[in-house]
Amino acid sequence: MQVNQVHNATPQFAVLSRDECEMIFRAALEIMETTGGRFLNDEAIELFKNSDALVEDGNLVKIPAFMTRRALNDSPEKITLCSRDGKRSVRLGRNEVHFGTGSDCPFIYDRETGKRRRYTRKDVNDAARVVDALPNYDFFMSHGLASDVEHDETYDRHQFMAMVKGTSKPLIVTAVDGEGLKDLHEMAIAFCGSEDNFRVAPRFGVYIEPSSPLAHGDTSLEKLLYCAEKSIPVIYTPCPSAGATAPATLAGMLAQTLAETLQGLVLAHLKKPGLPIIMGGVVTVMDMKTSNYCYGAPELSLSSAALTDVSKYLNIPMFSTGGCTDSRIVDEQAALEATISLETAFLSGAGLIHDAGYLDSGLNGSLEMLVLCDEIIGMVKHLGRGIKVNEEYLAADVIDEVGPGNNFLRTSHTLKHYKDEFYFPTLLDRHNIETWKAKGEKILNDHINARLDEILGGHEPEPLPEDVEKKMQDIIDRADKKVASQKS
Amino acid sequence: MVKEKIAEALINGDVEKGKELAKQALDEGVSAKEVLDEGVLSGMEVIGERFKNFEVYIPEVLQSAAVMNEVMEVLKPALAEIEEGESSTKGTVVLGTVEGDMHDIGKNLVALMLEGAGFKVVDIGIDQPASKFVEAVEKEKPQVVGMSALLTTTAPKILEVEEALKKANLRDKVKTMAGGAVIDQDFVDKNGVDAYGPSATAAIEITQKLVSEVKNNAS
Repeated sequence: MQVNQVHNATPQFAVLSRDECEMIFRAALEIMETTGGRFLNDEAIELFKNSDALVEDGNLVKIPAFMTRRALNDSPEKITLCSRDGKRSVRLGRNEVHFGTGSDCPFIYDRETGKRRRYTRKDVNDAARVVDALPNYDFFMSHGLASDVEHDETYDRHQFMAMVKGTSKPLIVTAVDGEGLKDLHEMAIAFCGSEDNFRVAPRFGVYIEPSSPLAHGDTSLEKLLYCAEKSIPVIYTPCPSAGATAPATLAGMLAQTLAETLQGLVLAHLKKPGLPIIMGGVVTVMDMKTSNYCYGAPELSLSSAALTDVSKYLNIPMFSTGGCTDSRIVDEQAALEATISLETAFLSGAGLIHDAGYLDSGLNGSLEMLVLCDEIIGMVKHLGRGIKVNEEYLAADVIDEVGPGNNFLRTSHTLKHYKDEFYFPTLLDRHNIETWKAKGEKILNDHINARLDEILGGHEPEPLPEDVEKKMQDIIDRADKKVASQKS
Repeated sequence: MVKEKIAEALINGDVEKGKELAKQALDEGVSAKEVLDEGVLSGMEVIGERFKNFEVYIPEVLQSAAVMNEVMEVLKPALAEIEEGESSTKGTVVLGTVEGDMHDIGKNLVALMLEGAGFKVVDIGIDQPASKFVEAVEKEKPQVVGMSALLTTTAPKILEVEEALKKANLRDKVKTMAGGAVIDQDFVDKNGVDAYGPSATAAIEITQKLVSEVKNNAS
């Protein structure tokens, strides 16, 4: 019998040491105390005025470190997101990784014409069905922005309906403002039964962005305060670009990003303690040639992994980024950028990894890219399994039995283990050149399109009960009527 | 000689040198107009060209622009005298980010490029309602109005600016242009905006075209 054995059940990966995490956290506290942040919302300013925070110049709020500590202590380190039927399928704890899409891309390539056009509700529904069908996705964000609506002010309700009808997987939603979020909450209650049911088993988390550097817009804060009141999980995630809206040094960007998220957390805590908050940020660089906000840069992956280390230090679940690209089409650049970000984010152990399927620096929500990323995620997850090292798996007896010069193909050991140890690609081609030629010389894009056609043509998600759909539609109609009457 | 040196200081991003040389030039009796045209603008032209060819990046361009602004401060009193008689700029552009949108980097880059190309830029800032665009047009009498929006939720505000300009009977006096991540040619066409620019460098050519259209219409 052996003693003092250490096994890496999975690969080990970290960017920052514990001391470095602490330095970033302390820098964030210092920023919050001395520089402060702008809060462009009346209720937020009232809450801060009645607290130990300093309010200067109308809306500049400086938060002492003890308030941040208190808010952190009251935040859960474990958050769950549930599928439509209440199954607790996304459990956010330390090093539990889940993959999903991003939201609200304005454009898509039309599959008939190949032309770039605005996203519609049907496209959102198609993206939802694709994610519903593909096994490696755990949650869904809208991917595209439903723009075929009468009023821009209510697009979020229409978009949510398209999402819910397309997949029963857990959702992360975006909303126009506080009122929009209230309607989405009410729509979700239509299928989960009651507000309490939603609180115990949240059917969605809410994606909210502050504006880097250190500013918090009115509608963002409306939504954040509503989530605090109702205990809805929040992803409060800045999108800084190093060199432009954050320092060019990545550590500085991370400190500022963390300060922005924690400023939001402290505000939510003043409203009601215990907000289920998920930290994160699309932390990347501005390309200094083009001013492009980079979705495929190695700095994005490095910074995201480092921020994930900080999230573990603080015991807050992390919302990271992967599977996205600056390439304008699904090509070699798209595949290599998506692969690097998905693998790095996965190995870092972030709870939610979003933006899979983004093309064109976050402007194009591609269905083809979703299919490609599903395969990449499959391979990346396989890496994460690590290697089992024990007597059965070392297989010394099998090696001895086969002996020098023979082969292992017919051993019972191979039959027993190969399916479990090997990865089976769904899109990648491993035929020899003669067979590949005989099968029509198909390249990756052909396989992606075939799989996509198959899903779009055949996959039907769990249907929404008619009475539930009607209740949800009534909420949408109510919102549309209200906007129409305000306009007239 | 001193004019070339000013251009050089601008290209090298040397603020102190630029200021010093500008003062020296005026002392030596070089006209402010000459310093502007053959020092500042020719220096910015070089930087603009280098940026276009990716020989320098945005931070270097910004540094050159900082030199330009400081030199302009020195020239201001002398330039003001000239402007009494003739306009020293190629045209005036009012720029702003529309209501609800806090993004200013793209707009600032456009402002920088246009200033470097010799236009007068009036930047009204971020999160500006349509009424502020109208006010600025009334006050500054620009040839061109530029609107920036980065968010899908704020892009429709561009339409509000267009409407407000029409209501104020100003729409036929100016040309409009729009830019930002979610804007494209299609959007611009559908919403009655005159032009779309995909990048800050593209803004120069577009502005030149729009300004000459307005001036031709007027004459």
